[in-house]
Order: sequence, then C-alpha cells, then structure tokens
Amino acid sequence: MRWLLACLLILVSTAASAETFRFTAIPDADQSRLQERFDKVAAYLEKQLDVDVEYVPVKSYSAAVSAFRNDQVQLAWFGGLTGVQARRLVPDSRAIAQGKEDAEFRTYFIANTHAGIKPQGDDLPKNVQGKTFTFGAKTSTSGRLMPEYFIRKQFGAPPKSLFSRVGFSGDHSRTIALVESGAYDLGAVNFKVWEDAVAEDRVDTDKVDVIWKTPTYPDYQWTIRGDIDARYGDGFTDKVRQALLDMDDPELLESFPRQDFIPADNDDYQPIEDIGEKLGLLR
Amino acid sequence: MSDERAPGLLAGNSLNLRLARRSLGLIALCLMVLPFADLAITTHDPWAELGRMLTGLLHPDILATESLPHAIALTIGFALWGTLLGMLLGFPLALLFHRSRLVRAGCAFVRAIHELFWALLLLQVFGLSALTAIAALTIPYAGIFAKVYAEILELTPRAPVDALPEGVGRLSRFVYAELPMVWARLSSYTRYRFECAMRSSVLLGFVGLPTLGFHLESAFREGRYAEAGALLWVFYLMIASLALWGHRRLLPWIALGSLFLLGPWPDIDGALLWRFVSVDLWPKPLLEGNWSGLWQWFGEIPDLLPAIGNTLLLGLMGTAGSLLVALLLWPLASRHFGNRPTRMAGKGVLILMRSTPELMLAFIFLLVLGPSMLPAWLALSLHNGALIAFLVARHADAIVPGSHALPASACYAYELLPRLYGGLLALLFYRAETIIRETALLGMLGIATLGFHIDSSFAYLMFDQAFFLLLVTAGLNIAVDALARRYRPRETADTASERDHPAGEATC
Repeated sequence: MRWLLACLLILVSTAASAETFRFTAIPDADQSRLQERFDKVAAYLEKQLDVDVEYVPVKSYSAAVSAFRNDQVQLAWFGGLTGVQARRLVPDSRAIAQGKEDAEFRTYFIANTHAGIKPQGDDLPKNVQGKTFTFGAKTSTSGRLMPEYFIRKQFGAPPKSLFSRVGFSGDHSRTIALVESGAYDLGAVNFKVWEDAVAEDRVDTDKVDVIWKTPTYPDYQWTIRGDIDARYGDGFTDKVRQALLDMDDPELLESFPRQDFIPADNDDYQPIEDIGEKLGLLR
Repeated sequence: MSDERAPGLLAGNSLNLRLARRSLGLIALCLMVLPFADLAITTHDPWAELGRMLTGLLHPDILATESLPHAIALTIGFALWGTLLGMLLGFPLALLFHRSRLVRAGCAFVRAIHELFWALLLLQVFGLSALTAIAALTIPYAGIFAKVYAEILELTPRAPVDALPEGVGRLSRFVYAELPMVWARLSSYTRYRFECAMRSSVLLGFVGLPTLGFHLESAFREGRYAEAGALLWVFYLMIASLALWGHRRLLPWIALGSLFLLGPWPDIDGALLWRFVSVDLWPKPLLEGNWSGLWQWFGEIPDLLPAIGNTLLLGLMGTAGSLLVALLLWPLASRHFGNRPTRMAGKGVLILMRSTPELMLAFIFLLVLGPSMLPAWLALSLHNGALIAFLVARHADAIVPGSHALPASACYAYELLPRLYGGLLALLFYRAETIIRETALLGMLGIATLGFHIDSSFAYLMFDQAFFLLLVTAGLNIAVDALARRYRPRETADTASERDHPAGEATC
C-alpha cells in the first residue's frame, strides 16, 4: 500500500512538474536570431528553476500582452506601458525585476540633418514645429507614451497639431532607418537602441543625430502572473525573481540588452499608469 | 482617347460605348477626388536603402532564417487546412445560398472582414496558435466558397436534369446529373483558392503567427534584406511549384502530415472566451443601458469620418489605378505580342507582382517615397492591375485575330481590346471589393484608413472600439460590393471566354 502511494506521489509530482514554464519578450528592436538568443535564456532559467522553460516569440507589443493574458506565457519582459496593460488584465500579476537602466530610462529625439534642427539647452528645440515626426510602436513607452507626454508638456498641444505629419514606425530600429532616409524629419527612439546602433556603427550620424534627451522615467520590467505559486509550487515567484537577479552572463543580458537586473514592483510603474490614462491609451 | 467636347462621340447605346462611359466615369471620379489624397513624396535619400534592398534580393541568404523548414511547413499547413475546412463549411452553405437571405447576409459579412483582422480578433482568445491561424482563414473562406460555389452551381447545364425520368429524388438528381457537370469548375476554383490561402497564410505571419511572413516582416522591417530576399524567393518558389507538390493525391498526405506540426493546441479558457464575446467586444455604456454614455463613447472614437473617407478614396484610386495598369500590362503576357522570351519575362513579372503580398509592396514604396497615400496607391494598383492583366492575357490567347497584317498597336486597339474590354472591366469590378478590403489592411502601415484605427484599437486593447470599427469596415465593403455589382458589365462582347474563366478568379 505504501509502495502504491509512493508511486502515485511520483506520478502526481511528475505530472505537476511537467507543466512547462513559458516566457516571452516584447519585440522592440533587433529580432534576428531571436529564438537562438532567448533559447539560451530559457536554458539558464531551466537550470535555475528546475522546470521546463520555453521561450515564445511574438511579433507585436499587443501580441505579447495577449499571450500573457491567455496564460500562454507566465512571465514576460514588457515595456513600461505594456506591463501596465498586462497587469490590469491579469489580476494579481506583478512586476518582479527591471533592468538596471530601466529605473532611469530616457527617450532620445533624433533628427535628419536636412531638417536643420540643432540641439538647444534643456528643451526640445522650438523649430520642430511643422516638421514631420515618427513615433515607434503605438504602445511603446519610450517610443510613444513618454515622448508624447513631454511634447504635450512643453508645447501644450498634441503632436498632431504640432507636426505636419505624425507616423508610427513600428519599432525603434525602423524609426532610426526612416529618419536616416529622410522619410521623416525627426523621431523618438529608445536611448538604449540608439546608443547600441551608434556603438555598432549601424547608423550614419552625419545624416541623423540626437537633438534632445528627455528626463528619466521607469521603463522595461519582468512581469509574472499571480497564480504561479499555486501552479509551480510555493515560493516559485521568488525563485524566478532570484534567478533573474542572479543572471550575470553578459551573453544572456545582451538579449535585452541590459547590464544587470534589479528588483522592481508594481508601484514603480504608477507614473507610467497615470500618464497612460491621461493620454487615453489606458482606460 | 476621346474628345468630350465633340457631341455624340460617347453617346449611343452599343455595348462598348457603355463600357467606355463607365471607365471614363471611374477615371474622372478618381481625378476629381485626387486633390483630397495625400500624395507627398518626403524622402530625401532613399537610394542607400534601396541599394541595400536590391543587393539583398540578388544575394539572398537562405541560412539566415531560423527554423525555415518549420515556417514553410506551417505556411502550407495553415493554408491547406484553412481551405479544406472553408470548403467543407462553404459547400452546404452554397446549396442554401440562393434560398436564404440570412445565409447570403452572413456570408457577405464574414467575407467582408480581412483574414488578418479575423486573426487579430481570434488572437485574443486562442492566442498564437494554429487554431487562430486556421480559423482566420476558414471563416472568411467559407463565405467566399459559399458565394462562388453557388454562382458556379447556378450555371449548371439543365439538359441532364431534364433528361432524367420523373420521380428521381432531389439528392440523386444533384449527385448524378448536376454535380458532375460542374465538378471540374468547382475543383479548379478550389485549387485557385488554395493558392490565395498560401498568400494569406504568409500574411498571417505579419500579426505574429509563425509562418514565412513572420520572418519576412521582421527581416524587412529591420533591414536584413539578404534574409528577406531569401524568404521572398522561397515564397515565389512555393507558389510556382504548386503544380508539382499540390497534386490531388499528395495533398491529403500533406494535410495529415502537417497535423503533427500544427500543435501545441491551446487550452481554451471558457471563462476568458465568454468574457471576450459577451463583455470585451461591446461598449460598456451599451451593456449598462446608458444611452448618453454610449453617445460619449461614440465621440471618443478617433477620426471616424476621415478614416472612412480615406478608405473610400484609396479604394477608388486603387481601382482606377488597377484599370490603367491592367490595360498597359496585359499585352506583356499575351501570345499576340512580342516573342517567346519577352512573353516569358512578361509573364514572370506579372506573376511576381501578383504574388508579392501588397503589404510588402507598399512597404517598399514607403521606404522610397516616404509616408503618404502614394505608396499604398502604387502597391494596390500594381498588385491588382497585374492580377487582372494576367487573366486578361489568358482570355486574349483564346482569340484568333482576323487579320495578321495589322501592326501591334492596331491589333491591340482595334482587334483585341474591343473584344476583351468587357471581361477586363468585369474582373475589375469584381476586384473592387477586394481592393477596398486591402485598403483597410494597408492602414497597418500607417495610412490613416479604417485599418489604421483598428490596428490601434487592438494595440490599446480597446476591443469594443476595434469591433465597432470592424463592423463599419464590413458594412463599407458590403456597400462597395453592392455598388460594383450594379455597375459590373454583365454581357460581354466575347462571352464564351468569360464562361471558361469564372470571374471568381479575381477574388483574392
């Protein structure tokens, strides 16, 4: 009888641990070899967490949110705004870690040199009025939400009435390409993506350069579903957080790309939520 | 072509004069609304990017894409199952099509929403899964199959039925005397629709389903043109070799085999599904019965009228543009013009242009010309014009010219075009519905059509707004289709060739 019980226990426990833990990351810039890069992250987490871990690639910011909502992923690397969207849809889900850079994130405004806009002190130069302008993705924090917020704050007007044309490039790499080609006079881009592009010589700074750096705000974070401890065992959430904080292999961190991960919680993102509501992107 | 001042030049009631008046009317209307369209060219320096693009196309890097075989298999699997299930649903509906107004309206509605929008909607409940992909193809295809099958069945020759003795049951009559007469046409249309499904399946990748389009869109967007080039070539090869692997006996095995690749199937969360259908899709004030709140909700929808205007404008311009492109290009692939090598090349160009997803074409033009309506207009005109030109060239090849001594231009103007023009215009008017569907789609590239706002609403997770805009889009498409049907030439100068090539072929 005892033997039978033990067998049953083993069966139950293997069945429980058979549930794969899945995660995704919003596609904000370079997506080449995405699977390969994130499979390494999955392998790392698998070792740390002792469950099967799988990476699920997504195409758009909203697809990442709906995958999280549908429980197709239990953990996600979100932007500031997408994280707020996701946590509003999935009760009890929480932010557990952010990149070291994310506590003080920035947007860079970049301009094509043809547009004749020069950096001026602490504000966005006045002569951007009447130019053409592109955001990044529609729900990007650094490519849409925060630049729109700062534009409205400085000029007291929505971007639509300030610029002669407003577009959405879809992601940060595309914003740089479109401003470099002159399709738009200026654009708003994630500062990390810009700096990496410049460092790797993927952008011609004679044709496009930074004209303004915004003040800082909180951005990307890891968000985990609220029902995780019940499904993967008590303390699993803390284990995931610890595994993320302990991640120190530069090759893994390069995928995000961040220097290091530090703790974060939902309250860190209250400013983003307030701004999102104010701009009508959240309701 | 005509001098409007000369009285009576376009007067009269002959068929071709009526057709000419209709086409000139269409072009005049297009010219009239043209000033409202935003056609600015804003790029300063597109040549570097274009150069990189061309280099990529010429030096494709086939190994750059991860899991390429898997993406190819899924593209085929989704297309095959989408077509198969669409056919299974569509056929019984086709039998009821002319008897039930409800069936007709239902089919018109599911047809009017583009596959990509179905996918965006289904994504919310079934996530990134094969279920989403296959259902996104099956649902609109069922509506299309129902309509086209019904049209084909309507043309069944009566003679075999009349020859049957009295008292033969309805089912026997159908199976023995009607179905065999139209079988070839039904299966040829189904085969054609499968090719459309391949294209749609690639497109599904643009919203995140893991088909070829997934990698194609990323590579294009991020400027990895060697990879994008390789993926485009793979796609062209898949379409071109369809006749080889798309064999009747092989397809069931491919369908069964692909089943193993399509998983994992999602667990459907009943509560979430119910919440989505009963709450998320509807405006909150409507559910609460708060009518003044509903008015306010309605007011929050951004730029509804300009969006409808832009959609119609682009649709009209796209239709007129397709007409001009088709008129110019069809001789490229016709046996009456040029020699063998030029015809081969011409055919190749037309096939390339009609196979390249219009979203991709628009994207290339966007880089070259900058963001305005111009890239979308060019993409719609070239894609649809090439498709019509290809079919018209086939019609033309069936014509035996009366005089061989005519120079090419005279042969085009006096010998062939008068006999082909009715068919061409019929195809164009059939195509109008598709063009308007595609304008909504091009909104995803940032042209402020209805599709742009639908895409935004999905991004902001405002599903009630997205659903409302989808309903508006569907209504618009149905209206345009009704209008096009009214003005579509019914009798053509050369009806025989028309019967051989059902105009249903212009529906994807």
